[in-house]
Amino acid sequence: MGHQLGQQIGSALHQSIHRIVLVLASFLPGILAFLLAVLVFALIGWGLAALIRRLLIAVRFDERLATREAPGSTGIITEWSPSNSPTVLAQRVTFWLLVLAGIAIGISAFDASYAEDSRYTIFLLPYVAHIAGAILILLVGTLLARFLARSVLIGAVNAQLQYARFLSLGIKWLVLVLSAAMALDHLNIGGGVVELAFGILFGGIVLTLSLAIGLGSRDLVSRSIEKTMEKPAAPRPTEIPTRTDTDTPPRLRHF
Amino acid sequence: MSTSPLTADATQPTPHPDTSPTLAPAQRSTAELLICLPALAPDALPYALQSIASAFPSESVLVACAHAPENSADFPSLDLIPYTSARSDVGWILAAGDYSSAAQLALEHNARAIILLGGDTAALSTPNALDPNLLRSLVDCLRTKNVDLVLPRFSIGPNDALVNSALLYPLSRALFGADIRFPLPIDAAISIRLAQRLVATTQRLMALNQGSSLLWPVAESAAAGFSVRDVICHAAPPTPPPPATQADFNALFTSIAGSLFNDIETKSSFWQRARGISLPSLQASAPPPIAELAASPEIHSMIETFRLAQDNLQEIWSLVLPPQSRLALKKLSALSPDAFTMEPDLWARIVYDFALAYHLRTLNRSHLLGAMTPLYFAWVASYLRFVADDPVRATHAIELTAAAFENEKSYIVSRWRWPDRFNP
Repeated sequence: MGHQLGQQIGSALHQSIHRIVLVLASFLPGILAFLLAVLVFALIGWGLAALIRRLLIAVRFDERLATREAPGSTGIITEWSPSNSPTVLAQRVTFWLLVLAGIAIGISAFDASYAEDSRYTIFLLPYVAHIAGAILILLVGTLLARFLARSVLIGAVNAQLQYARFLSLGIKWLVLVLSAAMALDHLNIGGGVVELAFGILFGGIVLTLSLAIGLGSRDLVSRSIEKTMEKPAAPRPTEIPTRTDTDTPPRLRHF
Repeated sequence: MSTSPLTADATQPTPHPDTSPTLAPAQRSTAELLICLPALAPDALPYALQSIASAFPSESVLVACAHAPENSADFPSLDLIPYTSARSDVGWILAAGDYSSAAQLALEHNARAIILLGGDTAALSTPNALDPNLLRSLVDCLRTKNVDLVLPRFSIGPNDALVNSALLYPLSRALFGADIRFPLPIDAAISIRLAQRLVATTQRLMALNQGSSLLWPVAESAAAGFSVRDVICHAAPPTPPPPATQADFNALFTSIAGSLFNDIETKSSFWQRARGISLPSLQASAPPPIAELAASPEIHSMIETFRLAQDNLQEIWSLVLPPQSRLALKKLSALSPDAFTMEPDLWARIVYDFALAYHLRTLNRSHLLGAMTPLYFAWVASYLRFVADDPVRATHAIELTAAAFENEKSYIVSRWRWPDRFNP
């Protein structure tokens, strides 16, 4: 009896392993096709990028582009190029476009080689596109958040705002939360929960900033009013001529 | 006196001399000297013409100006031609379009010397605002000393033209070997040889409709091997009132410093080879008694801005400045206002580091120049403490700063050539 039971369990296990191996065997060609497509397109991209780089260096693309920008201006292409070189930008864009094309074609190959159960591919294909879109949203959001945070920080410091860092962090997290919510929405994750959470979080940050600035500046405002009533306020570095007696010549001239 | 219908508009692209609409030689006014006026109001123009006529009583002068009157019988020696001056990004400073248009007019009218006058139009709208002696001395220097560029050295107070003293003069002197006190001129006298070069230099700018960009004629002359001089002017510069708000100041500072850094980048192959001028070295003198300066609200305000930046901008400064400079700034921020002193060599290195970061585009250029503003305020605070409203001490402080920039020139040359070697 015990021996028979052991045989049945062994047989069941053997069948399970067999089914797993079968699934893997039918799955592996698809993965192989996917990897092959990505590899081939990456190699093509690498070759094409090298060719474009040589070509652009030969025609002095960077110098030609620089001459079209006015001196002192911050040209958009040059500003956003790695190592200040639009040629490098073109090279990298070419390479990564080819890699992305390889991924797309690899997924199609995977789909073709694993056609017996299309449930996975129907689910997977659009979702990969959504993932790429979400990554792009996050990337742009992060860049924008960093840029805005720095702009606000420098502007606030130069305006002598004591809460400059706090303001900068608030702006940064506002943009990051916004981009994260957009990415999740793009992926159809969470649905209404994400929208609700985003609304609460975004509103919370804005409310926190407002309260912090409002309450934090209460003393500052009252001191400022008291000072104004008692005597003229301490001038800012560049506001001396306007704050002091306008009939007398300014004490400082920066230009 | 004939009035030529030829008009030069400095805000628009100027056509090449060969292709420009020219007049028949009989119609064209000729004079040895061409003077280009800024856009003065019609009622202010006679004052300027009076000054020019009294500066050159026995000479025929071609005067290019906006709102040129049809009949100017009051000034028979002056020949008026219409001209529209460019409005530079900085307003009262001469723009690239001014140089281009003036050079163009000079070539068309066979003038041998050109005086370009800028300045705030409101400041020039009063009688005697234009100094005839200055005009005369500019032209005399240009003609008798065979110089290509002559600039006025205005008489300023110890607390005036601080950006010039902190940045423009020391950098221009150290990198281009030109001991010109105001390298970003309000007025300038240029030879026809330099005018021809400036036409070529500004051609691209004019094609891009960038006539309002600033031009650095001292650096341009130095790079071309032309001679430059400045002449003493006892009058105050015709500058507008200081910027009313912090935002206005930031915009002006960013515009001027950005333009200068850009010029340094463009001429890097020249200044890396160029030798500086040799002037007698100065010994640093002790600052004046602290009690005299402690109450100054300006110094407190600037130090406060610097300390705020020291607390908040470390992330940005760490991308630009090496550790030793940041350590020095940290120590500086800990000093009390009564002992606040930024050493000239530290300031020189900071400026050089920012010039390099501008060149390398280490971070967004507007961010970079914005992050430099509090450091400039730190220099101004230190300078004000040292100077204590004394003109002699001001001259000494400016000389010390310029000498520090010259001494540290090897630093910028090394960093420019091998930026990674010095990176933190």
